[in-house]
Amino acid sequence: MIPLNVRTDRSLIRAAARSRRYVTVRFVAPEAPPRAGRAPVNVAIVLDRSGSMGGEKFVLARQAAERALAMLRPEDRFALVVYDTEIDVLAPSTPAVPEAKRHALSALASIGPRGGTDLGGGWLRGCEQVALHASGELVNRCLLLTDGQANHGITDPGELARHAAALRERGVRTSTFGVGSDFDERLLGGMSDAGGGNSYFLDHPARIPEMITSELGEALEVVMRDAALEVTLPAGARAEPLQRFRWRHIEGDNELRVELGDLVSAQEMAVTIAIELPRGEAGETAAAGFALSDRDHATAGGPVELRWTWAGHPQNDRQPRDRTVDREVATLYAARARAEATERNRHGDYEGARRVLRRTADRILSYAGNDPELHRIASELLAETETFAAPMPAMAMKAAYYSADAVMRERAPSGRAKRGDGSPPSRT
Amino acid sequence: MQPTDDTTYDLAELADLADVSPRTVRYYIQQGLLPSPGARGPGARYDRAHLDRLRLIRRLQREHLPLAEIRRRLEELDAESVRALAEAPASYRPGSSALEYVQRLLAGEARPSGVAPARSLRATLQAQQDATRVAPPAPPQAVPDRSQWERITLAPDVELHVRRPLSRGENKLVERLIEAARTIFRQEGP
Repeated sequence: MIPLNVRTDRSLIRAAARSRRYVTVRFVAPEAPPRAGRAPVNVAIVLDRSGSMGGEKFVLARQAAERALAMLRPEDRFALVVYDTEIDVLAPSTPAVPEAKRHALSALASIGPRGGTDLGGGWLRGCEQVALHASGELVNRCLLLTDGQANHGITDPGELARHAAALRERGVRTSTFGVGSDFDERLLGGMSDAGGGNSYFLDHPARIPEMITSELGEALEVVMRDAALEVTLPAGARAEPLQRFRWRHIEGDNELRVELGDLVSAQEMAVTIAIELPRGEAGETAAAGFALSDRDHATAGGPVELRWTWAGHPQNDRQPRDRTVDREVATLYAARARAEATERNRHGDYEGARRVLRRTADRILSYAGNDPELHRIASELLAETETFAAPMPAMAMKAAYYSADAVMRERAPSGRAKRGDGSPPSRT
Repeated sequence: MQPTDDTTYDLAELADLADVSPRTVRYYIQQGLLPSPGARGPGARYDRAHLDRLRLIRRLQREHLPLAEIRRRLEELDAESVRALAEAPASYRPGSSALEYVQRLLAGEARPSGVAPARSLRATLQAQQDATRVAPPAPPQAVPDRSQWERITLAPDVELHVRRPLSRGENKLVERLIEAARTIFRQEGP
């Protein structure tokens, strides 16, 4: 059973008004079982071979594929797809035995960059290869690498995201890798967001092999598939996560389910929930329950109960705050503000970008008291105001997009999972 | 050993047979998903009905249903239906419906070899349809002879009746309908 560290920012709530509180649930996924015990992976690697991938990019993509295949064992499956305006399934899904790997890599060696980009078609062929052999026992994933836009076939980012979501629901997740400055981060980010996978920004082609093998390495170390946090709320309460996780709220029975995706060995995870609590009788309490589940375990952690006590306004105003929760909340709102400011900047709304950053910094300062960390979070936002309030070059915009996205998904800045070192899941 | 109708188990045996931990069993009892056994403490005995129910709960959890939804469904089922559903062959195979989905899309995208022309309007419309369409019809599954109707409250005097079990896609439509209806009643209500 995984210990859950559950904290709320303030434990008194208002008897005479609705209260907004925050809860952070922290835990660390277990260490991986010995390699022999891990779930086999079923992956497709989809590579853009359009003209723009010329030069070192495609060489590095080939290298990435080579290293990726080296990580796999015969009980794993892989498929290799390349696309420009044509889609070529170089290696249909096959068990990762040495001969199959050699064959695939030699086919890849004869490929060079060519035409335009049917990103949707290439990706769907990759998903098809995964789907041909997908099962509940495997980690089923499609990895898509591109440096450009989708300019053939399905080009609408919304449509691609919808298909990614549909495939996620059917057990096939999508992770995306964007290289350089010309790709559309919202298109790729949208696909991996909806697709339940991970998003990577490779600012330099040299990072291609490293990040593809990192993602595959994580797929090989999944210890909790389809992890979810289940929250039982008190009557009359509403809640939602602050991070970018898929979630469902069953109103009538007051249950919130937050989908955390596949978690890897020793992954550190924190879910912060904003909860609105109803009025009540002073002295009485309202309780919420928190439990962790995954595909194989109905209860993988918890349930842990958290209680708030109704009290008058003066006691509420005077009560102590749990700063660890405040800092989590501030960090997340700051990331949201940066993400919004990036979009406004993209549309030339510099005044709007400035406003959203300032407003968020002010909000944080309103509860910062004399906590140095909270002050730091606010001042960093303010320091970046002028950067967001002037035209941003493409690379800077991508860096801002992916950085905010990583925070909002509880991932490390590189896009990798956050890993614990075995110490208790508490920041202080 | 095949369980017969009058076999009883202790907590450890029950948990073992259902492939869950004893703690999980206690949690389900606490959450009202499983009836508590006759006695309490180490002498407690569980029966075949407990086992069937536990297996069904597990199965439904694997299909990503939240506990509240599972509880609601179980309330409508008698012991026989619980057993039938717990033992029905698995109809959810992630690969097959993902494959159907992708192949339908790709078929809409099919083009002759060589340089691809711009997508035809028909292909675009097909892809649009596929994108907005909900899950393909579930493959035929063993359905108990008796279907169960679930009553969902939309407002103090308004109910929605839904015949269970539904396919995944239909479940999603129902969820949307409930959200929309409740929003309307909240907004316009007293």
